Amino acid sequence: MNRRIALKHLALISGGLALIPSCDFSSEDILAAYDNLKVTASQKQLLGEISDAIIPAGELKGALDLEVPDFILVMVNDCLSVENQALFTSGLAAFSDFAKNQEGKKFDQLSTKEKENLIQAGIDLQPAENPEGEKDSAVSYFLNTTKRLTMQGYMASEYIQTEIIPFSLIPGPYNGSALISETQKSRING
Amino acid sequence: MANLNIQNKQERTYQAIVVGSGASGGWAAKEFGDLGVKTLLLERGRNVEHIKDYPTTNMLPYEFKHRGKLPQKVLDENPIVAKCYAFGEDSEHFFVKDADQPYVREKPFDWIRGYQVGGKSLLWARQVQRWSDYDFEGPARDGFAVDWPIRYKDIAPWYSHVEKFAGVSGNLDGLDVLPDGEFLPGYDLNIVEKHFAQKMKEVYGDRHMISARCAHIHEPRPEFTAQGRASCQNRNLCQRGCPFGGYFSSNSSTIPWALKSGNVTLRPDSVVHSVIYDEEKGKATGVRVIDAHTKEMEEFYADVIFINAAAINSNAILMNSTSARFPNGLGNDSGVLGKYFAFHNYRAGVSGAYEGYMEYTTSGGRPTSGYIPRFRNVKKQETDFLRGYAGGFSAYRGGGYVADARVGMELKNSMLNPTPPDGPWRVGSHMMGETIPKESNYIALDTEKLDPYGLPTLKFNVEYDDNDEKMIIDYQEQISEMFEKAGFTDISVRDDHRVPGLDIHEMGGVRMGRDPKTSMLNANHQLHAVPNVYVTDGACMTSTATQNPTLTYMAFAARAAHHAVKESKKG
Repeated sequence: MNRRIALKHLALISGGLALIPSCDFSSEDILAAYDNLKVTASQKQLLGEISDAIIPAGELKGALDLEVPDFILVMVNDCLSVENQALFTSGLAAFSDFAKNQEGKKFDQLSTKEKENLIQAGIDLQPAENPEGEKDSAVSYFLNTTKRLTMQGYMASEYIQTEIIPFSLIPGPYNGSALISETQKSRING
Repeated sequence: MANLNIQNKQERTYQAIVVGSGASGGWAAKEFGDLGVKTLLLERGRNVEHIKDYPTTNMLPYEFKHRGKLPQKVLDENPIVAKCYAFGEDSEHFFVKDADQPYVREKPFDWIRGYQVGGKSLLWARQVQRWSDYDFEGPARDGFAVDWPIRYKDIAPWYSHVEKFAGVSGNLDGLDVLPDGEFLPGYDLNIVEKHFAQKMKEVYGDRHMISARCAHIHEPRPEFTAQGRASCQNRNLCQRGCPFGGYFSSNSSTIPWALKSGNVTLRPDSVVHSVIYDEEKGKATGVRVIDAHTKEMEEFYADVIFINAAAINSNAILMNSTSARFPNGLGNDSGVLGKYFAFHNYRAGVSGAYEGYMEYTTSGGRPTSGYIPRFRNVKKQETDFLRGYAGGFSAYRGGGYVADARVGMELKNSMLNPTPPDGPWRVGSHMMGETIPKESNYIALDTEKLDPYGLPTLKFNVEYDDNDEKMIIDYQEQISEMFEKAGFTDISVRDDHRVPGLDIHEMGGVRMGRDPKTSMLNANHQLHAVPNVYVTDGACMTSTATQNPTLTYMAFAARAAHHAVKESKKG
């Protein structure tokens, strides 16, 4: 029986949550909902904090209010290749160290501005082509993927598409020469 | 017992059997229903009832777990069908998965299938351009394949018949290469597309760009209301099935109409094994059907058999219909069954930019785009390759939020307030090339490898040739030149090297012709050797032309159904 199947079986036995010791994550719970990933509850919480820094709450709800972290993990679990899943999870695992190295503090102790700076720095990383660069590559891939999926999960959410920018399945008749100056909508403050 | 058997046989006897409920089979059934012919319409897949069986049709983007993207597992398990542009989270239930019906790729071929009532008519691109005599006369003029036994005048009234009922929108463009039809008002070209069309007229005279004719209802008419269909709402979600019946499908149009006549019985989950040939009577008497669930074989009988199983499976059914009289497949005295198989060459594209009309964009939706009718080798041979190509064409203006905005409130606000388009218009064309049917391009049965129903699998030997390669280069050169003349910039050409099949325009193998020694079907779509068997789908095609072929199959089916009824009245 391979490890993944074993995990699944354990997850079933323990009612959806596998309580197993793991060399990767000390003795933390692994979330069974994302069965292709080994993601712990605290990692999901960290992902939530990152996504909420990418799209914070303001006048309108933010990424965390819309459960975007769950959407991100569903997409990574279901729609990424095995190699990219590994890159994503190792980037997630390396992110705490990345924060400490860059800012000298844990991520949740940073100010909003510091969080944004850190994430933006990670997104813009140009990893060196050496073993040291591998970790940076993972962090960069993780943050870019998280940004992309946060944006998608936020904009394609029921909240945005019903309350903020109502989506219609019927787009109306075609106008092939619409003046841009006449298609402008009133500004939405996030 | 004997009486029971007779009774049972009577219950399974009809005047006509139609095999396949896609675009062409649906039309045969509709015509038979209207003409009072008791008909059994067989479909190998499950039933899909209009509206009721379109589970995703009104789903909003956020209701899709993966927002339209298919899970990696589905993509990994379906390397073939996953290449199809219409295969997505909202439509995957209408496609045959790779493992459902394996086939043998002696040469690479992507076979895209829709096994359900309505077939691929639920999923098609709905482009309906008529053929002209430049197409029907092609093989005779250029010396390939065999001469078509029909001409435009034979099919023109049936194009009209089909267009009026299906609903075709288009403009009266007055082009001899692409005859006008019974059109509802055409859809608008946008301002850059109009500019391109105008430039082509000025620069070349004989090169055109028009609004592509499409099978969408652009204006309500009583004949559509009578079918329960309303106008197209520009949703562009056609692959989910349309709750308005805005585009033509068998499901929204011909099948419910046929069933309403009271003359047509629809039998889904019925995989046709073969046609029954009666040596004494010298004709076909019915079909053998495998129940898709129980795998049990049953027979159904009729005076007339229509094979409309989609090009490849229509070939397969005839190949599997062997008898002492026809050891190599029904009606295959000529030996050409499965050969001269062809398709459309969709490999190439050209794209560019246009920096004019910068103050304009588009809004709303439309179900079609532009179309460049064939201009190469039309009146005379101009190049070192045979035949020519049509092109799709469209122009669009990008816009949207600034994806590289800094994370935080800046990103949030840029997403909620998309910037107006500031880049130039983008323009693009894709190639639709005619291919030359050849004996060496063929499909055949592999009797060693059986499918889940115990039927032989199909093996494919179809590939591009030198003519196709030359045509790709010419298309890229000519369209690039046309783009330059229109003032487009940043022009680039592509060849995606897709393998045959992904065009989903497979044609031939049961070709029409004048001579029984070199063709399978006569001018009325009857097998030369078994005249009560008709084939009116893609299998019957003698050559491919450049037009999207479905309209022609529908017209063929309607015409042949009327012919069959006329023949039966002669007794």
